[in-house]
Amino acid sequence: MIDTCNAAVAVEGLEKAYGSASNSTPVLKGVDFVVRRGECVYLAGPSGSGKTTLLSIIGCILSADHGRVRILDQDVFSLTQKERTILRLNHLGFVFQRFHLIRGLTTVENVCVPLTLQGICLAAARKRALSLLDAVGLADKADSHPRNLSAGQCQRVALARALVANPELILADEPTASLDAANGQEVMKLFRRLTTEEGKTVVLVTHDQRIFSFADRVFWLENGCAVENSSCNGG
Amino acid sequence: MWSIALKTLVADRGKLLTALVGVVFSIVLVNVQGGLFLGFITKAGLLIDNGKADIWIGHKEMHNVDFPRDIPRRWLNRVRGIADVEHAQPYLIGWSDMTLPSGGFESVVVVGVDRESLLGNVWNMKQGRADSILKTDGIIVDECELAKLEFPKMNEVRELGGRRARVVGMSHGIMGFLVAPYVFTTFDRASQYLKKAPGACSYILVQLRDGADMQEACLAIQQRIPDAEVYPRDIFSTISTDFWMTRTGLGISFGAATLLGLLVGLVMVAETMYAMVLDRLGEYGTLKAIGATEKQILSILLIQALIMATAGAICGLAAVSLIQYSFSTPRAPIIIPYWLSLGGCLLVLCICLLSSLLPYLRICKVDPHTVLQS
Repeated sequence: MIDTCNAAVAVEGLEKAYGSASNSTPVLKGVDFVVRRGECVYLAGPSGSGKTTLLSIIGCILSADHGRVRILDQDVFSLTQKERTILRLNHLGFVFQRFHLIRGLTTVENVCVPLTLQGICLAAARKRALSLLDAVGLADKADSHPRNLSAGQCQRVALARALVANPELILADEPTASLDAANGQEVMKLFRRLTTEEGKTVVLVTHDQRIFSFADRVFWLENGCAVENSSCNGG
Repeated sequence: MWSIALKTLVADRGKLLTALVGVVFSIVLVNVQGGLFLGFITKAGLLIDNGKADIWIGHKEMHNVDFPRDIPRRWLNRVRGIADVEHAQPYLIGWSDMTLPSGGFESVVVVGVDRESLLGNVWNMKQGRADSILKTDGIIVDECELAKLEFPKMNEVRELGGRRARVVGMSHGIMGFLVAPYVFTTFDRASQYLKKAPGACSYILVQLRDGADMQEACLAIQQRIPDAEVYPRDIFSTISTDFWMTRTGLGISFGAATLLGLLVGLVMVAETMYAMVLDRLGEYGTLKAIGATEKQILSILLIQALIMATAGAICGLAAVSLIQYSFSTPRAPIIIPYWLSLGGCLLVLCICLLSSLLPYLRICKVDPHTVLQS
């Protein structure tokens, strides 16, 4: 039994396999780990080790075969589909590897999306989005379209979008993979600031060892299990 | 949600334009086909609708104003004896031949009007007056049919049914469902042109006193003349229209063409919306991952369909007005009442909303997990 006290994320005996029952490929074989509130934790490992699968399960967009996942004191697997959607909208922020900004919407409109989905009025959403764009250094790009932004700027917009609804937990999937070293460092500083200054919890998937120094703890996924890699930890 | 729906829709202008073309196409087709149909079908009751008679009395089983059978003129007295009847006059409709200057003949429909009341007489005069038919040998033709009659001029003398006829006036736009031009004249002269037996007429036209009850008057007439068919104006007009609708398959052919147009519009809109969604599956996956509910996704699609339907309807109705203004003629009138436009727009709106369901079903299958994997 793992200690889940003050845990933002608690994963216990998590198993997940892809494919049919007769021809299944196990990806996660009993993963256990805890992320405490305000921590910045990295999930690292080789390609195909199940990092993204684990992140999807934590993000309530994928189901596991066995095990238990508690997110912000809620047992994810006991929630209905709709309750999981609401949990994602109100308490989780996603940052994707390829940004996944919406074409046709300007930078500020992209940041507004989670607030729009929450039903917040456009003016208030825009005000909040502009303040976040200012925080990530993109206030002057508010009315630009994503196609006119660099990859680093797009990732910062995606980060602003993930933060706009003030989530407690931020899940990021290889946020520096599409960025050069300098932009990668900039984005990671932003993530670090979120945990140290705003008390957010960050779970970040990466295989980029250059950014390990920004993490409080690093879990290494290999052969379907997660092992805390103390040698990589920064803090 | 409106903002997301509108902006993502407008972002893909090429596909939006294709969808709009589909909506405009449907709107134009429904309105123009419907308008042409109504224009044609209105001609079937032209004499009835403009004849100013409240009640039409004719032979048993009469089914079309242009194809009457003779009835005895003596029935007039029985009708005039009814208290609610203000006027009852004989009316004659029949086929004759007009001799043309080239030596040929043109079949015409001769309409004979009582010379005292002029009930059922010509309207919409362009040259001369409607009562000019009282002049010696006077006939009135329609200026839209002049080509068929080899362009008779005012006061030109022609031979009609072997008798002398003089053009004393011209109307505009009185073109019946049949290809033969209408020629208006007095009842007596029409009898001669049509070589009718004395004492025969085609219809008895009745005008009621003010405040008289139509149903009661019809019943009273029917009781006095059991061998006659008695119809209020509106009903006889509908009967005449139905004659062409049911016996010619006109309604089916127009309806089928309209339905086909709607189907093409439906396919174009559905296909375009589907293509737009396929193009943006990742974005919908992102929305789902962020926390958009199925209901919110559906509302985005429905709003987009609504926007397309509205924009398409506005453009379509503008195109319809232009087509109506440019191409509607007395020969092929395009009559578009407000209910046809409104009905067409509602129909297209339903089609657009229906079209959004197909992409919605596709989006339902999108697993937001794939967004993290891509």
